[in-house]
Amino acid sequence: MKAYAAELSLVSSHIGDSKYVCCVMDASVLLYITFTEPPLHCDQMWSPWALHGESPYNRSTYRYTPLLAWMLLPNIYATPHFGKLLFVTCDVLSGVLLYHILCLRGLSSDAACRFCALWLLNPLPIGVSTRGNAEALLSLLVLATLLCLELKRFFMAAFFYGLSVHMKIYPVTYALPIALYISTHGKLEAQKRGVFRMLQRLFNKELVLFAAVAGAVFFWLTLAFYCLYGWDSLHETYLYHLTRRDIRHNFSPYFYMIYLTAESQWSLVLGLVSFLPQLVLVLLTSLAFHADLPFCCFLNTAIFVSFNKVCTSQYFLWYLCFLPLILPRLRLSKKQGVGLLLLWFAGQGLWLMPAYYLEFEGHNTFVYIWLAGLLFLFNNSFIMVQIISHYIPETVQQRKKTE
Amino acid sequence: MLLLHFALSVFRLTPCEASQKDEVICGPASAWFESVDMSVDVAKRGFHRELLYEVHHDPTPQAIKALVIQRLPSGVYMDQYQLASLREDTGLQVLLDSAVSLEDPAHMSSGFSALVYLSPADGLPGLLQAVVPVHGRYHRPSSSGGWERVYIEGPRLLLRPESCETLPSGLPHRVVEAPCTVQNQSVCSWLEIQGLQVPDSVTLELPVGDFSLTGPVCAGTILATLLCFALLFRTIWTHGIF
Repeated sequence: MKAYAAELSLVSSHIGDSKYVCCVMDASVLLYITFTEPPLHCDQMWSPWALHGESPYNRSTYRYTPLLAWMLLPNIYATPHFGKLLFVTCDVLSGVLLYHILCLRGLSSDAACRFCALWLLNPLPIGVSTRGNAEALLSLLVLATLLCLELKRFFMAAFFYGLSVHMKIYPVTYALPIALYISTHGKLEAQKRGVFRMLQRLFNKELVLFAAVAGAVFFWLTLAFYCLYGWDSLHETYLYHLTRRDIRHNFSPYFYMIYLTAESQWSLVLGLVSFLPQLVLVLLTSLAFHADLPFCCFLNTAIFVSFNKVCTSQYFLWYLCFLPLILPRLRLSKKQGVGLLLLWFAGQGLWLMPAYYLEFEGHNTFVYIWLAGLLFLFNNSFIMVQIISHYIPETVQQRKKTE
Repeated sequence: MLLLHFALSVFRLTPCEASQKDEVICGPASAWFESVDMSVDVAKRGFHRELLYEVHHDPTPQAIKALVIQRLPSGVYMDQYQLASLREDTGLQVLLDSAVSLEDPAHMSSGFSALVYLSPADGLPGLLQAVVPVHGRYHRPSSSGGWERVYIEGPRLLLRPESCETLPSGLPHRVVEAPCTVQNQSVCSWLEIQGLQVPDSVTLELPVGDFSLTGPVCAGTILATLLCFALLFRTIWTHGIF
């Protein structure tokens, strides 16, 4: 394993009379890690089709928006490392956005920098980005949405949100909490409790603007690519992920059930049954914690990933990017925090071991992988319970006072 | 990017037409072909294997090109994108006769053929070799679990002297037309070497799920998810701000 220059320097500057302390992360990162398996050239393999005007879906297993292939064309013109540099840059920019959101939520500059370091120095996003995976782009778009919402820039928030949903489907789980968040932006006396009042408040000017802009961005991008690439663009970008049921081993607790019942008449029923817990919990969380949007998004994503029919390690990035935002309000002792972290890693380790023996040694460890998947679900659920129980969410009243 | 398709019609037997007037002595003598020996082995375990091809032959002044045609069943696949990367990184030259799905299980896939162009081994004259990655597909679960056997039939070996435009005549080997190189831009005549001492097939064993556990697995999975659902529901209901 070779690693070149990973340099991260923090520069603080004190600007003008406003005493605006700017913590600029100068992260000149060129971290190139050669893994034991052949380097992934995924980013290079999508763009040649786009370059020659062909469909990127000619490349089998390409299940993303064509926009991503177009963005990576400099891989061919400039340098084959462009894609990885782009994703690493997105990681760093995500850190900048995290810093600004934390400051807006009342943290001091130093504290904000410390919490941002949990993302910037986290080996998981570094590893994922340097391998050529585009998850960092989604993290950036989602965090940009949150920052714009904090700054009450609803037009830009809607633009970033529409773009993020176009790039990957999972941010659609933030639609309800964002809608409720914007709807409670009105006067304090309008903040009456009750589910009915909540639904009533959904019809306000800012929310309509948000929905219109986000919807327009999503719709026009989808339409444009549909005109260019046809049904493939809809199926591979969206429908495949909605109906995806992978029989191959993965972290999902449902994997073995799906494998054994793949050709059974009960397959559809079981698929619907397994979707219900995910749906109900995401709805409930949206109603319960929408006033604290980063926390709500974190929970929605963690629930979505944990109860999903397919779960791979890159999905963890989807909720890890929110962790620096929720930690300041988490009232866990260091011992408890480290304990939960070790529990999370232990759950993964217990899954990875039988999975390794299945895939690379040819042992029949399906039952152990299944049990480890169930244990991982228990772990994640327990961790989420602890986080919810020890978190002090921002309420609507608190938010209005800080504005 | 490798060309993935070539017309199967290039594989045809071409009778060797000897013309006494045009006979040109090119290529090794008939006796040399008896020194040709090939071995096939499977390395690694699990779902990710490697097929090791080695062709030994007596030294000859002319460079010899070797092409292995390997028919593979639906239970395995080769990743054309991995092969493209390996071609750039290590010089491995493999041509596939059709697009191969990377994700479908065995019962939803079909077999295919791979053309493997062997390369001389560094510092070892008289040895041509190639190491080709091959991956196992998921198979249908069986009623008792265990393993599924995948049989890979023995390969065909084609040889041709590099500098000869026409092959030597009078040899007891079939002439077969096949792509000259992995670029698949021209077709050459190759000699198919028969009578080699290679096994009829090599066997891979791949683990499969246990169909008899369907009931307990479904029940256990649903129970576990309901339990976790109840735990989270209760916690969110208790601590949520409605």
